[in-house]
Amino acid sequence: MILILLILVIPLFLSVVSLLMNNHRRLGVINSAGYLVIFLAGIKIVLNVSLGNNPIAAFNFFYCDALSAFFIFTISIICFAASLYSIGYISSDVKNGAISIKKSGVYYLLFNLFSFSMFLLVSVNNLGLMWAAMEITTLVSAFLVGFYNSKQSVEAAWKYIIICSVGIIFALLGTILFSYAFLEGGGIKTLNWAEMMLAADKLNPNIAKIAFIFILVGFGTKAGLAPMHTWLPDAHSQAVAPISALLSGVLLKTALYAILRFGIILNKSIGPGYFSHLLIFFGLLSLLISSGFIIVQKDIKRLLAYSSIEHIGLICLGIGVGGYLGLFGAFLHLFNHAVTKSLMFFSAGNIVQFFKKHSMDSIKGLFWSMPFTGAVFLLGTLAIGGLPPFSIFVSEIMIAQSIFNGGNYFLGFLILGLLAVIFGAIINHFSKIIFGVKTSSGEIIFREGLSVKLSCIFLLVFIIGLGVVIPPFFKNAINSAVKVIIN
Amino acid sequence: MTYFMVAVKRITALINSFRYQSLFLFLITLLEAWRERSIELYIVAFLLLLLKVIVIPHFLFETVRKIKVNDSLGLFVNSQLSLFFALGLTYLSVVFSRLVITDGNTFKLIAVSISFSITLIGLFIMSTRIKALAQIIGLLVMENGIFLIASSFSGGMPFFVEMAVFFDVFVSVVILGLFMYRINKLFTHIDVNKLAHLKG
Repeated sequence: MILILLILVIPLFLSVVSLLMNNHRRLGVINSAGYLVIFLAGIKIVLNVSLGNNPIAAFNFFYCDALSAFFIFTISIICFAASLYSIGYISSDVKNGAISIKKSGVYYLLFNLFSFSMFLLVSVNNLGLMWAAMEITTLVSAFLVGFYNSKQSVEAAWKYIIICSVGIIFALLGTILFSYAFLEGGGIKTLNWAEMMLAADKLNPNIAKIAFIFILVGFGTKAGLAPMHTWLPDAHSQAVAPISALLSGVLLKTALYAILRFGIILNKSIGPGYFSHLLIFFGLLSLLISSGFIIVQKDIKRLLAYSSIEHIGLICLGIGVGGYLGLFGAFLHLFNHAVTKSLMFFSAGNIVQFFKKHSMDSIKGLFWSMPFTGAVFLLGTLAIGGLPPFSIFVSEIMIAQSIFNGGNYFLGFLILGLLAVIFGAIINHFSKIIFGVKTSSGEIIFREGLSVKLSCIFLLVFIIGLGVVIPPFFKNAINSAVKVIIN
Repeated sequence: MTYFMVAVKRITALINSFRYQSLFLFLITLLEAWRERSIELYIVAFLLLLLKVIVIPHFLFETVRKIKVNDSLGLFVNSQLSLFFALGLTYLSVVFSRLVITDGNTFKLIAVSISFSITLIGLFIMSTRIKALAQIIGLLVMENGIFLIASSFSGGMPFFVEMAVFFDVFVSVVILGLFMYRINKLFTHIDVNKLAHLKG
């Protein structure tokens, strides 16, 4: 109980602090200290809830079971890494004159409100409030997308907010229809999903099916599922680098969390077939569309954004195929993608800050001009492509295996083929960046700040560590999250 | 009223018609509140009046005045054709509500078809008007439709969910207004069909 309040109050407190202070470096350090506490609280929540099998419920407002705990844990890690990275990144932005000192305070304010809304989203017990929290994430992060106030970034923010708002209105319609399905079937009027779970067999199946389509389209827009993904590459490429990491690493996943919450109730009432077919369909479509765009991409951050669509598609496939292995793989993949993609956006942020360009044609010879970032970027590239011994390899194999176990060989080979194509395309694009001949401006060697280095190393520990061995603590956390879904 | 919105060509007329639509919504909710004698519904109704009839239209008028944009909405699809489309969407929503309402309650059937058609027409306004402001209004119209659906289904959402939704809608309009202001400053227009810097 106290823990949940802690992770919600700290961001709010920090957002007030960021309004009052005008020393961006000290503010960044305080910020990171706060998120370190949140990170530790996240571990404690997992220990209590998942391993102690003891959901937290309070005030008829919060409810945190193993599924929420897993998401809180993931969000807290990425937020901590992003806050650490922000210290160095924002300092150099201020030094370059890209933003003023006053604006750096605004940045930290929005950063904290953004993470607050994500923590709120995964810890409330009410589907309506979950919807409201989702809308807050959009509204707050739109400012972070349009932060640099350039033509491109304002355009991206506009598209982001409009497309996601329309999507989320459909999700609201779906939520209302869903609660109507309960009213029709069992005469219960509630949006509290713990109560809905208990009454799931009373659901009116036809209305629930229609409602779920709206929900999947609505929250799927926010999750970046194709074909509702069009806002994503714009927003991710224009946002401030640490925010790109948060958007891609955890915001998309919280939308999946919302879909899962409805899916659990739906599965319990009408059986898993409907839910899984829809998820497989959208997952596969996302994989197909993103692979095409990855091959022809020229902008480094847009490429990473499309790669996020690819991985969201994979996670949906894992959830859709289901079974113990599929779900375990999907959750593991969700975590792995969060840490790996954050690392990639961090190093891409360094690159863009140094070269001042997004276009991959003008970025060459990374190894020579920025040795640390180059090395991190190389490791990240191999990891995101799915090579062993990195963690994404493990979860991708799990998802693929669950598909083959289900006897769906055509789907399995199709997905492996697509993954191979995407791997080739990513290696092709990024090897030119990393090893290419250094350009004339490459005389100066870029030195990353200590905090930037620390955040990258922090993430690398997870990326490589989980590829070698999945510690029992982590395995149990995922196991209990899977159990919430399978029951 | 929604049909009227589809037909109008000028920004000020669009905002005004949104105001009247919200006024109707307020009256319906007030009626409901009076019938059910529920204090919560009274609060919801007066928030509707305050936010959607007074504050939001006023804010939008202010923004339009400040950015000094010309009054034409810029239609991709002309008024007559738009009206025709709107009729088609209404038919679609009747079909949809037949699917959802299975208990043969005609009043509910009509209420749901009307509100669902309002939602769809909101989407239609968003996608076929050039000025960024029309997208904000379209969004608000969609939200009005959803609100009506919720109240015709089950007497509205739980109270504090309703509050949260109100808060979100209000904040999103303010934020969209701010972004429209920024777009106007950077691009010197608010024509969304010319926002095409980001591709691929």
